[in-house]
Amino acid sequence: MATVSLSDLRRQAADPGVALAFLVALATLGVFVLYPTFRVLVYPALADYLAIPRSARWLQAARNSLVMMGLSTATATLAGLVFAFATTRPDVPGRRFFRSVALLPLFAPPFMVAFAYILMFGRQGLITRTLLGLDVNIFGWHGLWLVQTVAFFPLAMLIIIGVLEAINPSLEHAARNLGADEWTVVRTITLALARPGIAGAALVVAISVLADFGNAVVIAGGFPLLATEAWFRMEGLADLKGAALVVAMLIVPTTVLFFLERYWVSRRAYVTVTGRGSPIDHPPTHPALRWTAAAFCAAMSVLVALVYLGVIAGAFTTVWGRDWSPTLAHWRLAADRLPTLWASVRIGALAGAITGAVAVAVAFLTSRPLPLRGVLDFLAVLPGALPGVFVGVGFVLAFNRPPLELVGTVWIIALALAFWHLPMGYQAAVATLKQIERSIEEAATNLGASGLRVLWDIYLPLLRRAFAGAFVVSFIRAVTNVSIVVFLVAPGNVVATFAILNMIGNGIWGAAAALTTMLLALTLVAVWVAQVALGRAVRGLPTRGGA
Amino acid sequence: MRRVLILGVLATLVLSGAGAGVTFAQPNRIVVYSALPDLETTLVNREFTRRTGIQVEALSVAAAGTLAARIRAEKDRPRADIFVGGSADFHAPLATEGLLLAYRSPVAAEARVSPAYRDPNGFWHGWYLGALGIIINTDRWDRDMAPRRVAKPATWDDLIRPEFRGQFIMPSPMTTGGGFIFVAAQIFRLGEDRAWAWLRQLNANASQYTPTAPGTITLLARGEGIVGMQWAHEGIGARLANMQPLETLVPPDTAFEIGAVSIIKGGPNPDGARAYVDFLLTRVPQVINASYGFRYPVRGDVPVPTGATPFDQLRFVRYDRDWAIQNMSRIRERWQREIGR
Repeated sequence: MATVSLSDLRRQAADPGVALAFLVALATLGVFVLYPTFRVLVYPALADYLAIPRSARWLQAARNSLVMMGLSTATATLAGLVFAFATTRPDVPGRRFFRSVALLPLFAPPFMVAFAYILMFGRQGLITRTLLGLDVNIFGWHGLWLVQTVAFFPLAMLIIIGVLEAINPSLEHAARNLGADEWTVVRTITLALARPGIAGAALVVAISVLADFGNAVVIAGGFPLLATEAWFRMEGLADLKGAALVVAMLIVPTTVLFFLERYWVSRRAYVTVTGRGSPIDHPPTHPALRWTAAAFCAAMSVLVALVYLGVIAGAFTTVWGRDWSPTLAHWRLAADRLPTLWASVRIGALAGAITGAVAVAVAFLTSRPLPLRGVLDFLAVLPGALPGVFVGVGFVLAFNRPPLELVGTVWIIALALAFWHLPMGYQAAVATLKQIERSIEEAATNLGASGLRVLWDIYLPLLRRAFAGAFVVSFIRAVTNVSIVVFLVAPGNVVATFAILNMIGNGIWGAAAALTTMLLALTLVAVWVAQVALGRAVRGLPTRGGA
Repeated sequence: MRRVLILGVLATLVLSGAGAGVTFAQPNRIVVYSALPDLETTLVNREFTRRTGIQVEALSVAAAGTLAARIRAEKDRPRADIFVGGSADFHAPLATEGLLLAYRSPVAAEARVSPAYRDPNGFWHGWYLGALGIIINTDRWDRDMAPRRVAKPATWDDLIRPEFRGQFIMPSPMTTGGGFIFVAAQIFRLGEDRAWAWLRQLNANASQYTPTAPGTITLLARGEGIVGMQWAHEGIGARLANMQPLETLVPPDTAFEIGAVSIIKGGPNPDGARAYVDFLLTRVPQVINASYGFRYPVRGDVPVPTGATPFDQLRFVRYDRDWAIQNMSRIRERWQREIGR
């Protein structure tokens, strides 16, 4: 990006539409990603930064965060890969069911998985104590590892599915016809082609693990981590400066991850969508592979189901663990908070639309040979490196005064959430774009289409799935978010997760579980509507042979 | 065509969000940041509106630190008029930073509230009190401790008995007011050096230090520990209001918090804010807080909360609040060094 060649600039001058879009995107990300980050980072003085190595606790937290990142990323990505593989094979038993179940953790507020697992596997756990009679301490790194694996593998799955579905089955047929055995086909065709997706998934999961505090705060016990340390600074000590410092430490590993991903993914070309899409079906999967994948998915599905069973059972149980008689009393209390659900849905839809649009536009622009596209790419991934509390405070500091005075409006919440979720949508869109062969575009250009026309007529149809994915993921994460919302919620636009967190904090668990159940039902309906609305676009993808 | 349609729907969706939820300063409304639970906040505010005609927009977050951080972040353009709830320890630093508005409520003197419960410069007024207590999960006690004929803890020193190894839970002094006041109370009780030796012994029993104060109650109620330290009113409330198997007692040499209310400097409605401070010092809001939150009133004419020992019958350590606030960061640093978790 440092070498801006003259020919690049000239090509840009020839296409003012793309150049203008590029500048607008750069300015947008500058305002909503870079500026809030900058405001937080300059909050502490230089001397405060220099004092970091003297804090043993922070260094310990940094080590722990890196260990957890390694463990949880490995298992979550692996689980995501198996799920993605199983659910894109038409002949794996229960594939639709597994895909639906795997999406469920995305609907839960971040602390819910940990909360449910304490109910199920804790010292008084329904399974560990009541059923098995064990005395288990789930608090600590091992509990967190389990929880983060379950909480984050759906992210990996979604990203890897996007890539696996774009792989043309005729390649596997070809390999098989040339005499390759089952394992060789999977290894050299499927996995090799899915590499950008797997790398992108691992990157997103790793950053999510580093920034995750919702689960950590509930289940990590006395195990210090950077994200929770940042939150404790803010939550208990009202120490913005300390939080900014801890978060600055967190940005170091995420930047490293970012360049690692760039290097690995850009090593090979991955062109499979050729515009001459074939209507060939997937070749049959080897039975051993098929059943292993199905068994693994079934086991994971049980773990996921337990989260939901815990929450739903909690909503109907008088007092969990003591008085198991069923009741509807919690629902009356939860019904008082119905307006917060509406606020959640409205903000989530706004955030989803913004994430989707920005992700697709930026992915298109960074695929162009433009000067400074590395900067745009970096800005689009950067929000994933920031813990939610950091983004929340950053937005408060940045948009508290004119010209952009947004504090107290729904806009500030929607924008903060939208740009925080941008990396997920963006990574998926980039992975999809890498599958699109340039010759389609070159053909259009030769026929006289402008850069924006290429975006509109060629890339948009191909990117609709990426947009839909970004919208849905951003929407779900927005309505279940806590970390950002805590700072940006204002009197008059309180959202459901915020009300739930307050209820849990005040020990009103039954009503919290009831309101969570309502939130889950509402998001499921919203996602179903979105799928119906965008479904035809998905089926129109050339990878499925245009059938 | 379909693409145009979808984009149109999205544009409508985005635009429909505009203008919603914008709040404007109104003479007849105040904005309150409350660290008290929803229930108490709502009931107190409803009564305030009934009496004064001033509407209240409240935001309750069960963490005073989060609200203090928010007030700091908004200092160029304060959004709220009132910061209510949480120990005075959270309000005092805001006053030092010049973020609060001084006000001396005439009601405090009329009601003969002790001057110890308000800031001499008028930056905050205490309107409720809470004492630290020992909380026991009775289910687990009956199962694990009673058969071994272990005596229930009655003093702070009982907490370091070896029977409680791995079974003690308290809020972290690094992140909570209650945890910090507990550590400071041990320093006032034993002297600084002996206090740290004692805390190291206590640490041998500690299963975990929860980052938030309610977390301790949550874990104790779930039986993740048997013995805990937290505000007594939280333990009493969990048993009486939420039917949790918790027993609470207040040991001698305990310490207390002063639940404060303060006016945010530069807020939209300072007159309304003063009226709110006056109101909290009257009888009714303190009755509400005592009945639903089990917190002690600062007024003498409000009955003692159900299940609680009268405040003047508790035995307190000689607690120097000014010293504790001034030495807060030093004590927390030493905690990190000596205990390290």
